[in-house]
Amino acid sequence: MTFHALQVCASRGAYEAIPTEPMRLDLAGVCTRMQAEGIDVVDARVMLIARLEREVTVGRDGRILIKTNDVAQAERLLAVIERFLELPPGAG
Amino acid sequence: MMMSGGIDSPVSLYYLLRQGHDMLAVHMDNRPFTDDTPLEKITDHMSLLETRFGRKVPLYVLPHGPTQIALMRQTDRHVGCVLCRRFMWRAAERIAERERATFLATGEALGQVASQTLSNMRSATASVRLPIVRPLIGLDKAEIESVAKSIGTYVISTRPGVCCQAVPDKPATRSGLVQILKEEERVDVEAILDDCVRRAVVM
Repeated sequence: MTFHALQVCASRGAYEAIPTEPMRLDLAGVCTRMQAEGIDVVDARVMLIARLEREVTVGRDGRILIKTNDVAQAERLLAVIERFLELPPGAG
Repeated sequence: MMMSGGIDSPVSLYYLLRQGHDMLAVHMDNRPFTDDTPLEKITDHMSLLETRFGRKVPLYVLPHGPTQIALMRQTDRHVGCVLCRRFMWRAAERIAERERATFLATGEALGQVASQTLSNMRSATASVRLPIVRPLIGLDKAEIESVAKSIGTYVISTRPGVCCQAVPDKPATRSGLVQILKEEERVDVEAILDDCVRRAVVM
């Protein structure tokens, strides 16, 4: 999955990644995969809130908000999250 | 006084303090749907206004994130902002009653955002009994910002921060009370409020 380059969100308090193609994520599946790797994640039905080194929110439409002002940290956390958005090999 | 960390609420508080009212402030802590910045901004707003008027304004901080999660999981997102505000009002009213306050106050100005249409204000505030004071109701954004700049709160309010992520993509701007009440039946209102108020922290 490829996202647009990260951009600072409008309120300048976080970085936002927007999918290149419209999508609708299976958040329950993403949540399960995160929890299986020990990530503390809250399932709010229309979004997931994952507690990594900074909080990351994943929306059903694939938008990801990373609560940091550090672009390098945002890129690193985006890479972590993207792993969980893919179906595991052999699934689906 | 409901304090959000934004531009309007400190201006509203300023007007009420200037009139000589004894005020207490309530902040609905919206983490994890925001970050730490609203609370930091509010403590700075309060400090600035307390210094200006020479009196302490107690600040109650109530957890609102769990309420938002319950609403997201169980209710129609379209009316999420109205439901959210109904819980905020109720929680604030409970604090007000505990402190024997005689009114509730906000920085709302008519028509600025989805939750501030007349229809949505009516649906939101039907959840409480105390009178509601809105010192900014007829001002436009430029007027409010002008006052905020003159009293020194604007620079605090406009620091970077994360906006509320619980706001739906298309929030309802007109809501019927019947529809709102029906949605609200999906959650345990009293249990949510009890938990929220029990975890209030006074700063």
